[in-house]
Amino acid sequence: MILKSAGTPARQRIDNPVARLLPIATTLLATVISIQPAHIPGYAALTPAFTLMAVYHWTIYRPDLLSPFALFLVGITQDLLAGVPPGVTALVLLLTRAVVLRHRRHFVNRPFPFVWTGFTMLSGVAMLFLWTFHCLLDGVLVDFRGTVFRAVLTISMFPIASFLLGRTQRTLMGAG
Amino acid sequence: MVILGKADQVMFESLRVSVTDTVSPALDVLSRPLAALGHLMDRARDFVAVYQDNHRLAEENERLLNWQQAALKLASENARLRELLKLMPEPASTFITARVIANSGGAYVRSLMAYAGSENGVERGQAAVTGEGLVGRVSEVGSRAARVLLVTDLNSRVPVIVEGPQQRALLTGDNSERPCLRYLDARSEIKVGDRVVTSGQGGVFPPGLPVGVVASLDGEAPRVEPYVELSRVEYLRIVDYGLADGLPKPVPIASRSGRRAEPLAGGQLGRR
Repeated sequence: MILKSAGTPARQRIDNPVARLLPIATTLLATVISIQPAHIPGYAALTPAFTLMAVYHWTIYRPDLLSPFALFLVGITQDLLAGVPPGVTALVLLLTRAVVLRHRRHFVNRPFPFVWTGFTMLSGVAMLFLWTFHCLLDGVLVDFRGTVFRAVLTISMFPIASFLLGRTQRTLMGAG
Repeated sequence: MVILGKADQVMFESLRVSVTDTVSPALDVLSRPLAALGHLMDRARDFVAVYQDNHRLAEENERLLNWQQAALKLASENARLRELLKLMPEPASTFITARVIANSGGAYVRSLMAYAGSENGVERGQAAVTGEGLVGRVSEVGSRAARVLLVTDLNSRVPVIVEGPQQRALLTGDNSERPCLRYLDARSEIKVGDRVVTSGQGGVFPPGLPVGVVASLDGEAPRVEPYVELSRVEYLRIVDYGLADGLPKPVPIASRSGRRAEPLAGGQLGRR
């Protein structure tokens, strides 16, 4: 998979091993947060796709530190822990990485609304893909409303996640 | 991989169980701050509603004292009648209380991960309950953690009886908050508010476990509101009624080829 895209500024070299592990560590943390029991009525079904947010953020800002293989392992871990058919999340995360990598020059060094709009489109497509996939796997028409609510919640939570990830990135990696 | 996982459940089940076992201690630790936060919010809410609650509980206490008298009378009458009939007592059940350390986090699977496994005596097929009623059944067991398939999951099938009209039905989950009642003999006799309990058919669950109440009759099948608020379960009891043998184990593909698939017992279907 091609890591570098034309038209994007050169990335700062990171020597600190902790900082180098940051993208994978935060993506894994997002996975753990996704399966945490929140004890809020109805939350389990509508849990925002935190892992998708982390993958989107890091693919825009530091794709070199988020290898496809590590992403595949994170996706498989999430599938195995959540009890969904193994490979579904891994596939979605890898496709997300591929798509964002292709278009990242539109988002790097752009104001946040651009980044958010990109995420809105991406998460919409990802949720639709997941819904279609599960309908085919289970052989039934799964209620679409849950998917819509989950997409809305994911999109609305993205600014917070992006802010936290950006802050952590600046603290540990510098301007990047 | 997805197709392979769908076709050969045994291979991926063992992988899933080992991953779950490995990370369950970490998940247990990580789930505690959120649980503590939840308790704090509950306490704040309780504090605000303390006067209303006190008034409501005093009324409820009075009502329950009347019920207690009725129950004591019925219990002694029941004991006398059992003695007269020389009725065999039901086998005693044992249970383990386990903390919920993870859920499925998504719209397509309804399951919980409980922090108790085969080391604690948990077995596949055992019932998971709370004080209010049935939560689901144990679908996968590791040495330290077990997965509980909720009654609302798409793959959950529980044989039940609607009390009142005494109608047998199959409670089928569809990933919504309210599972459906299917295969009813006479739907017209069902009313909103009727109690739904397990029928014990198929030998997976014992008869009489409370499941929920009929909540709506619209649509193609009546919907049941479970007694247990499934998203708020923090601790659950995994009960051994001595019936776990009723659930067949998944068969590996290699040993399945060349012979016809056998039907699963008690209408309990499961992909996991």
